[in-house]
Amino acid sequence: MVLLQFNVVSIEGQAPSTTIWSHPDLGGIWLDVYDTPYERAPDVGDREFATDEERSARDQSRMINPGRNKREGHQGRDVAGAYNAVYTSAKPAGPRTSLVIDPSDGRIPELTPEAKRQNEIQSEWRLMLLQNTETCEKNGPGCRGGKYGPPSPRRFDVVPFYNTSRMNRHTGPEDQSLGDRCMLGVTPDFRGHRRIVQGEDSIAIGYDTGQGQGYQRVVYLSGSHPPAQVRLRHGDSRGRWEGDTLVIETTNFSPKFPFRGSGANRKLVERYTRVDADTLEYEITIEDPTVWTAPWTIRQEMKRQADEQNRIYYEPRCHEGNYGLPALLIGARMDDEAFEKGSGPDPFSLDTATCIGGLAEE
Amino acid sequence: MQKWLKSSTVVTALVATIVGAVISLVVTRTTSQGQTQAESSRSTETPDGHPNFNGVWQALNEAHWDLEAHEPRPGMVMQEGVYPYEFAKVPAAPVMALGAAAGVPGSIGVVGGDGLIPYKPESLLVKQENGANWIDRDPELKCYLPGIPRAMYMPYPFQIVQGNDKIQMTFGFSNAARVIHLNDVTGPPDYTFMGHSVGRWEGDTLVVDVDYFNGKTWFDRAGNFHSESLKLTERFSPLSSDAIWYEVTITDSETFTRPWTIAMPLYRRLEPSATVIDYPCIEFSEEFMYGHLRREQLVKRWEGETIIVDITRKVPSGDLLHDWYRR
Repeated sequence: MVLLQFNVVSIEGQAPSTTIWSHPDLGGIWLDVYDTPYERAPDVGDREFATDEERSARDQSRMINPGRNKREGHQGRDVAGAYNAVYTSAKPAGPRTSLVIDPSDGRIPELTPEAKRQNEIQSEWRLMLLQNTETCEKNGPGCRGGKYGPPSPRRFDVVPFYNTSRMNRHTGPEDQSLGDRCMLGVTPDFRGHRRIVQGEDSIAIGYDTGQGQGYQRVVYLSGSHPPAQVRLRHGDSRGRWEGDTLVIETTNFSPKFPFRGSGANRKLVERYTRVDADTLEYEITIEDPTVWTAPWTIRQEMKRQADEQNRIYYEPRCHEGNYGLPALLIGARMDDEAFEKGSGPDPFSLDTATCIGGLAEE
Repeated sequence: MQKWLKSSTVVTALVATIVGAVISLVVTRTTSQGQTQAESSRSTETPDGHPNFNGVWQALNEAHWDLEAHEPRPGMVMQEGVYPYEFAKVPAAPVMALGAAAGVPGSIGVVGGDGLIPYKPESLLVKQENGANWIDRDPELKCYLPGIPRAMYMPYPFQIVQGNDKIQMTFGFSNAARVIHLNDVTGPPDYTFMGHSVGRWEGDTLVVDVDYFNGKTWFDRAGNFHSESLKLTERFSPLSSDAIWYEVTITDSETFTRPWTIAMPLYRRLEPSATVIDYPCIEFSEEFMYGHLRREQLVKRWEGETIIVDITRKVPSGDLLHDWYRR
């Protein structure tokens, strides 16, 4: 007892080294304070860290942010692109050249032939819905790979895959993106704040990410994954301590909430190590043999955020205020009605999917 | 009221102690048959001397239907039957096809004192309207964040993760959570569904003050509600290692004539590998909330602003009715 008390004593300016449960203390609010691309630029090769010049060049290019003040001369597209600097605030460029550290070229491994085929099916479907729009008529980047033509006879078909992204059709909520439906948060997350609370046999991780679309995970330090038929949005997480490192294995993912195309077959192995009072080293290996030809690993150094300021949004309430989704569907029904009455254009001749990306100059 | 609570606490504590003793016997026996390590090694106290609330918990009562005492009803949604009496109503269309699985179990209630919530007269009218318009008004049906205290006694398990200076509760329903701060932190920048919880230990009791509510949550499915002025003081007291006596003092001078209390036990889910399985109801409620905005609606018709959903139910015809009894 006395020894334990000694261990948890907090020294000025330094976090306690263990929790009351004698585990290494990972508690607190953590954030990757830098903006780092997933993948490394090919010409950087195997070099894991950026030079000061490279970092400042990246900061410069994002400060200029071409397109931020661009006006389209089209009311609808201007409104669609109305996210100004307040919404698109950027973190500074970090020391790493990419989040991916394995493979050594910092690039996500090649997709499997089946995953490529799935991507082609999805891409073909989305282009089919756009083919009668100005985006395709003017050969905008949103129509890359597609061609201009009359509305497709397949436009009201059942989607030939489980849709989770925006498409140029709005027959019901399932045609919208997970973000539009307030179900954007996905495991793993690399961008948002997270709060770790450590108990005796479980650990809670709350994520504040994606404009109020954060989520909660409970990591169990005992027991085993549930039966394979139990499929969960954030999977089932079981953790163990390997020395000072918390190792979490997550499986049992639902096919409905994919991460970069990886759904039910996703397996994650996360490693959390507190390397000093303010730094949490985070490493995750992502594996899905149906999507990638090899596992891949991301590493981040998260920085501790002030607990007393409590700047984490642990109450994701996107859904509770989601007037956007019904408004969008109401608008789509009005467009349908106007077209039927001959007082409006064919809704499939309007690009209501790609926003400003559809016609933006390359 | 205080007296009722005290004597009731003592009786329940006694009962729970006996139940606890029986349960620990059972656990000990199962342990010898191969209980997992975590199950058998769970300590009743934290190393710094507080009750150990870590684990999966769930209320086991009817408070989620109605905090107040109520008799059983044949349907979650009711309509007038053959007789014009309130007590003779029959299940209405939204649940009629579900038979005896869609009724409401009775309860002696969890409200202290005279068992009634002390509404101001004008608030009581709102409560009654809420109850009469349940499926249109209850935020639970829309999968909105349930708020506190409602999240504590919904029929879904929740996890307590008890750490150094935070206690987090993660709820199965809607992936909701609350963090109880045992240390000093800044409150949220806006009113909230789940409130801002600040806790302290008074002996073995965890006392939690909760405020910053937005007034958009309910207490139950009976339409009991509150305003933005809601403030709670919760008390979590161990009855045994596997049961917590949970008491809440509810203060909201806009809605009620005086503070009032609810009290109930929370039970530990004792099965090995007890897990809070997320109930991802945002998706589950989409048809309920947005189905009428589909291009082609699923079996619906309209009468003015009222949506009518046809119920599909198989009824054997004529003398084939005996098939019901054979199956």
